[in-house]
Amino acid sequence: MPGRWNREGDRSARETQILGWILVVPAMAAVGALILYPLVKGFQQSIQSGGILFGELPGYVGTRNYRDVLNDPTSRDAMRHTLEYVLLAVSLELVLGIFVAVTLHRVFRGRGFVLAVLILPWALPSVVSGVLWRRVFDPDNGLLNSVLLHLHIINQPQVWLASGRGAIIYITLVHVWGVLPLISLIFLAGLQSVPDEVYSASAVDGAGPWRQFRYITLPLLRPSMAIALTVGTLLAISIFDEIYVLNGTALNTRSILIQVYNTTFVEADFAHGTALAFVLAAVTAVLGGFYALALRRSTV
Amino acid sequence: MTTTLGMRVLKALAVTLIVVWSLAPIVLGVTTSLSTQREVNEGPSHWFPHHPTTQAYRALIGGTTGEHSGGTVTQRGEFVQSMWVSAELALLSAGLTLVVATMAAYAFGRLRFRFGGFLLALLVGTMVVPIFVVVIALFKLMANAHLIDTKKGLVLVFVATLTPLATWLLYTQVREMPAEPEEAALIDGCRRWQAFVRVVIPQMSSGIAAVAAILALSVWGEFLIPLLLTQTQNAKPVTVLITEYVGKYTTNYPILAAGGVLALIPPALLALALNKRITGMLAGS
Amino acid sequence: MTATGTITLESVTKHFPGGVVAVDNLSLEVQPGEFLVLVGPSGCGKTTALRMVAGLEPVTDGQIRINDRVVTRLPPRDRDIAMVFQNYALYAHMTVRNNMAFGLKMARMPKDEIRRRVDEAAVMLGLTELLNRKPRQLSGGQRQRVAMGRAIVREPSAFLMDEPLSNLDAKLRVEMRGEIIRVQRRIAAPTLYVTHDQTEAMTMGDRVAILRDGLLQQLGTPDQVYDRPVNAFVAGFIGSPSMNLLPAGLEADGDGWAISVGGARLAAPKLLEQRRSLRGYLGKPVTLGIRPEDFGTDGGGGEIDVTVSRLESLGSELVAYLAPAGMAADTLLTARLERRASLAEGSATRVTVDVDRLYFFDPDSGAALT
Repeated sequence: MPGRWNREGDRSARETQILGWILVVPAMAAVGALILYPLVKGFQQSIQSGGILFGELPGYVGTRNYRDVLNDPTSRDAMRHTLEYVLLAVSLELVLGIFVAVTLHRVFRGRGFVLAVLILPWALPSVVSGVLWRRVFDPDNGLLNSVLLHLHIINQPQVWLASGRGAIIYITLVHVWGVLPLISLIFLAGLQSVPDEVYSASAVDGAGPWRQFRYITLPLLRPSMAIALTVGTLLAISIFDEIYVLNGTALNTRSILIQVYNTTFVEADFAHGTALAFVLAAVTAVLGGFYALALRRSTV
Repeated sequence: MTTTLGMRVLKALAVTLIVVWSLAPIVLGVTTSLSTQREVNEGPSHWFPHHPTTQAYRALIGGTTGEHSGGTVTQRGEFVQSMWVSAELALLSAGLTLVVATMAAYAFGRLRFRFGGFLLALLVGTMVVPIFVVVIALFKLMANAHLIDTKKGLVLVFVATLTPLATWLLYTQVREMPAEPEEAALIDGCRRWQAFVRVVIPQMSSGIAAVAAILALSVWGEFLIPLLLTQTQNAKPVTVLITEYVGKYTTNYPILAAGGVLALIPPALLALALNKRITGMLAGS
Repeated sequence: MTATGTITLESVTKHFPGGVVAVDNLSLEVQPGEFLVLVGPSGCGKTTALRMVAGLEPVTDGQIRINDRVVTRLPPRDRDIAMVFQNYALYAHMTVRNNMAFGLKMARMPKDEIRRRVDEAAVMLGLTELLNRKPRQLSGGQRQRVAMGRAIVREPSAFLMDEPLSNLDAKLRVEMRGEIIRVQRRIAAPTLYVTHDQTEAMTMGDRVAILRDGLLQQLGTPDQVYDRPVNAFVAGFIGSPSMNLLPAGLEADGDGWAISVGGARLAAPKLLEQRRSLRGYLGKPVTLGIRPEDFGTDGGGGEIDVTVSRLESLGSELVAYLAPAGMAADTLLTARLERRASLAEGSATRVTVDVDRLYFFDPDSGAALT
């Protein structure tokens, strides 16, 4: 094909070609050796028996490990919990994220300060978020119990993190606290791309704040919404730190990753742990593909 | 546009709400860390310590002496050591990742070379691989290479896991940057790599700073990978150490909170110092 | 300085992936000391051509020589050229001095020689006070000068400029035109200058090359391309306001030729009958070209009935938009008239045409009929 850089005798083209390769080698080597290779190894593991507890020699077992974890009641609970975390976290993040973005969109005095404060929860380790929130939910002397007792909404202290659905809600809240800044920024960027004249024009046309929000802001946020939705989902589906800090590996709040951790490192069953992890990987890969598509559609 | 008084009040209220929501847990952590375990146990009336004390911090750094531990045991010096480990991991991993990712981002963004598009897709594609899947297999590999429980091993894993994201962020920046200064350098007598080092990298500096901050924050906050790949105090970052202070039945909240507060200071300072660049980079991705 | 050096393009062609032919078989030579302007509408391939000369774009076919040295496949650094970019392309992290000195440092020139050259260029461009500033502390015009300075300190064999004035405001643009010419005359290196602005081309170029869809249309002095455009495209592109191009008919009429345009009939001057290529068009349609300044309100020549659609007074002259009688409703003629011409918008009137200065083109190919 004519006009290619790599044409014979084209010195700068050859230089470009060689330099390009030299520059990407370290990145590709790191990712290849420490991500792609283990990924293949892990997959091999997931189709072999080899849990030391089973007392078998390693050998090919096909999809057995996958069938096992998909039928295991604890794993299924973990999947159900994860679905709950995702649905709850994402809907909270979308609603609150739009609220924050709309609030902070217009310039006002002190906006820089608020924006700086806003990203703090995102910048902190999620383990630290868990630590900070832990006292709120403590059954003996936590903030939640004392406030609710005081207001006579409850008449005896509750063990919040022990109740089934409730515990998931509280943990999700902590998760959302850390992720909301990122989601808000995505929406804020979406709003910033809307020229102010659109609002001025609609105000001239007599549209009130609600109608402006409903008919201008929301439709214009649609591309950001696709991004926020996917980012929120990918972060929530792999929730681990907050659960681990707030409630350990307790059964009532186990997510898929907690279950993977427990299977692999507590029960030392690498084969089933890896299989479950690959189930999660498959789901995220599909979601990631969706993300890429949504991004492409919103940028073209 | 006319703003009614009602709207303005509503907006002030909303802004206040956002600030309180963002800061309240942090403030609560600070007040808790300045309380005594007894005050915490007394509950509602003692959300703010009547007699602020640095007792928890002293216990955290100097180690607990049996009777005050309240379910939490700390060893003298371990917390400070873990803070240093975290800092070292964050700096080394962020630094190395930046070098690797900046080179790759420039190559993918500016140079046409064979299989470039395919390699970029491969690299970016690994972003959706949940790190857990990899870590289980890595655990065995690292054990064979005697890299478990070493900072070296952790840095290697962090570099690998962060390179795709960092490359992608910097790649989008390279694509948006005008190519002319680099071309001017080529005409001014530079070879490609010279133009890259002398002109393109300075041109990217603000983006590099933002990505550096994002990487450092993310390493500092990483929990799962070091939880699995460390065993002793040798390479244990502060995130992992803190979780060990959570007692099985009772927890010494002041000590735990003190740990949390100390662990949040470096990332908070970094985020505040570079907040404009970070928000810009995050919003653009 | 004595003028030496040439820039030669010989059958240079550029295909982009996907089959787009950006530059098609372009041949031209910039003479020693010459200022040659490559002009054309956006997308005509002029910038691609320039970038091939610079070595920033690989050449598909053909040969490029600078000072008789074949550089077609050499990287930019080995071509001994300097280039000024549209957006200045200054090194944002370097001071003005270092911006200008960068190329010399790369060439490992002795420090005091670098200093001498930069100082000298700074004086020439009025940048002496600004040498320690960073580009972001400069105005657009100042940045432009720094970009010029960076090019001239190198004392290259050839200068390349890619729309260097298009980011400046109108007043500064006129000022910088003169300045660039002044500097180029002093340096006396052959210069290839790309612009989409025909005014720049006409006022700055020793010669002008008009490019369209990658093909060279005409190469000549500003007067040549203005007075004798080779086709309707060049005729319409060069000159402001543009030449009026109208469908017309050429007829033999008793003792001479006549041109029918709309409802009007213009008696053709006898001289026209000697144009051999026109003879074949008798009784056939042609495209008639009339320059706006060849209209008048009194005196002889042909006459056309028009309705005055709009008037724009520029103070020194009057630009009138005229709807000729008997032609498609949206046809408007542009005429540059004396400021005192007494016309009123909406009124019907009769304007004169200088029939000695008419242009004829083939209605299909657009080729000039001479």
